[in-house]
Amino acid sequence: MARPTRLSPARPTARLTAAAALALSVALPAHSAAPAPDQVVAHYADIAAAAYGDSLTAARDLRAAVDRLVADPSDATLTAARTAWTAARAPYQQTEAFRFGNPIVDDWEGRVNAWPLDEGLIDYVAAGTPSAEDNELSNLNVIANPTLALNGGQVNAAQITPALIAEQLHEAGGIEANVASGYHAIEFLLWGQDLNGTGPGAGNRPFTDYVRGDACTGGNCDRRAAYLVAATDLLVSDLEEMAANWDADGAARKAVTDDPQAGLMAMLTGMGSLSYGEQAGERMKLGLMLNDPEEEHDCFSDQTHLSHYFDGLGIQNVYLGRYARLDGTELTGPSLSQLVAGKDAAVDQALRADLEATMTALGALRDKAEGGMAYDQMLAPGNAEGEAAITAGIDGLVRQTKSIERAVGALGLNAIAFEGSDSLDDPDAVFQ
Amino acid sequence: MAGFAVIRALALALLMATPASADVAEAVGDVILPAYDRLADATADLDRTAQADCAPQALHPGFAAVWDAWAAIDFLRIGPVEQDGRALAISFWPDPKASGPRAQQALIDAAAPAVDDPAAFADLSVAVRGLSGLERLVYPSPLTGDADYLCRLRRATAADLARMAAEVRAEWDGYAARLLEPGGPGNTDFLTQTEARAALFTQVATGLTALADKRLGRPLGSFDAPRPERAEAVASGRSLANVTRSLTGLRDMALALYPDAPRTRAAFDRAIGLAERLDDPVFAGVADPSGRLKVEILQQAVQAARAEAEVEIGGGLGLSVGFNAQDGD
Repeated sequence: MARPTRLSPARPTARLTAAAALALSVALPAHSAAPAPDQVVAHYADIAAAAYGDSLTAARDLRAAVDRLVADPSDATLTAARTAWTAARAPYQQTEAFRFGNPIVDDWEGRVNAWPLDEGLIDYVAAGTPSAEDNELSNLNVIANPTLALNGGQVNAAQITPALIAEQLHEAGGIEANVASGYHAIEFLLWGQDLNGTGPGAGNRPFTDYVRGDACTGGNCDRRAAYLVAATDLLVSDLEEMAANWDADGAARKAVTDDPQAGLMAMLTGMGSLSYGEQAGERMKLGLMLNDPEEEHDCFSDQTHLSHYFDGLGIQNVYLGRYARLDGTELTGPSLSQLVAGKDAAVDQALRADLEATMTALGALRDKAEGGMAYDQMLAPGNAEGEAAITAGIDGLVRQTKSIERAVGALGLNAIAFEGSDSLDDPDAVFQ
Repeated sequence: MAGFAVIRALALALLMATPASADVAEAVGDVILPAYDRLADATADLDRTAQADCAPQALHPGFAAVWDAWAAIDFLRIGPVEQDGRALAISFWPDPKASGPRAQQALIDAAAPAVDDPAAFADLSVAVRGLSGLERLVYPSPLTGDADYLCRLRRATAADLARMAAEVRAEWDGYAARLLEPGGPGNTDFLTQTEARAALFTQVATGLTALADKRLGRPLGSFDAPRPERAEAVASGRSLANVTRSLTGLRDMALALYPDAPRTRAAFDRAIGLAERLDDPVFAGVADPSGRLKVEILQQAVQAARAEAEVEIGGGLGLSVGFNAQDGD
């Protein structure tokens, strides 16, 4: 099956990126009056509310497309559901820049975006599928088994519900690779395993995996449909929870606005940790160094290039204080960039340039993937062209991390990092 | 070594020019460069041994010596070890999806000619190379294959380790110059002394966390599901030895950066003492409650050393922990 063509959110967002950068540079020269920290963190919370709100809207669209797929399985309804999944990822990936700086987000994130997964927990897989070490549940196959030997007892899985997935299956046995919920579980149910290694082609699950009766392929089509519906319901309710956290009275909003200095640190921590350890390291460099498509972030759908692109864009959004909504409107307001420029114009200029350079590299990576060389093909040993495209993205992310650290210094936030350390006052606390 | 003398002279020259960089100069001259010298020497010895005799037993002492050298400095994830994935290639661990054994067995089954071509070997997945790859070739492992090919693979892996260690050491001369001369012409890595100090301090802090979370945390698992099989380098029996070496290297680095840190010194010494007295070389004891408690106490002592270092050294130098290569999930 052909991979979905580029989806509507991608192009308009890319266009708005350039427009927004231009608007900011015209309207807000670096030496204009810098905003106050409380204005910057309030606008940051507004962007989070909008981005999680858009993620929720797009997940509800996905839920509707899933309904149409299970009601009337066909190539057309399966393709539409896949298209809706890809569209739902675009706003969500932009929210990842909120993750590392905000404990409320980081504690929740594993429910919606955990990866990599041992997909044999959920459904049938090819013989010899690699799994996490010692994961005795890697071939549990919930879809094929209405009764599960799990957590030291027998679990009744006759009805596959959001509660079963969230409370019994997700991270079963305390093993992180047992991912039962979230975008990647749904991705697996829509695309199936990508058995092409570093060759061309994504997962190729047939729509008949959802057909009831004799035409059902893969077995247990009714239970597969029930799992897909329940997992998508769960994604919607998880996103409702996070969107509410950024509402006017939301806990995540309060955490950053009650103490604006800590809020600024949360903004920069989210930018830096996602740039370096997570995206440049875990998600990009590691896969390249292993030449292993198992390390591809969106390994079923081959949409990894879009995940990387929108992650990078989310980091840039946080700094520039702007976000292009799904409905085409754009949020702009008091930005971290203006605040940093007020302290040290050179640091701000370097960071803006670094973020833009990263987006150029991630844009080129995206275009190369959409031009026919999928991300997993780029990971193939000896693919110098693919390696160069990924490496350019990694280098940009690593470089911008240094500039993010300089922005932390320019704002005088270094000392804040000491707060919250366990044992400042009571060195014995950690022994208790 | 000659290279070391040169850099030491450079460090001293800079020390006199800019006294405030004494801490960075000592960390580089007294800790980092000697550690990479030892790694280069140990890997060169291992390579010579392997070329002379590729029998697994013959490589055991050299394998241990390389691990001793690497564990003392593997917390340092900046500079030349970050080029071309060298740190990952020297020891690829953890390997939760068994990338190493899978790719290595495929290499053996295909009798891939890369074993006879150092440049091609250097391009292979990091998971098949380095100490993790060599451990599976000289200690019991599921790998099977033609004896002659396995011999060539051992030699190629040892030679590749020696190549990487030599490159890292050689390239550190240039990197050290940038650390020691922040803000110099063309030096975009470090603009100020504070940045240079912060870069090294971040490595100490995040190295301690990685040690507690990975080297100790992985085998600990949870109380209900301890995972002794997830310890590092179990086949070669080096899990605890690596912890002790790493703690010693981290302590040396922390105190070179800031010698006047009695609480940090005491916290490190306590953790190292606990490790030295622990009679559990591969953390098999985590599976029973009393053995588990000992490893948990060691883990807490490591976390306490980080907390002390943050307050005493980070606070003393006015630094905070920066972003690091190990803070993804």
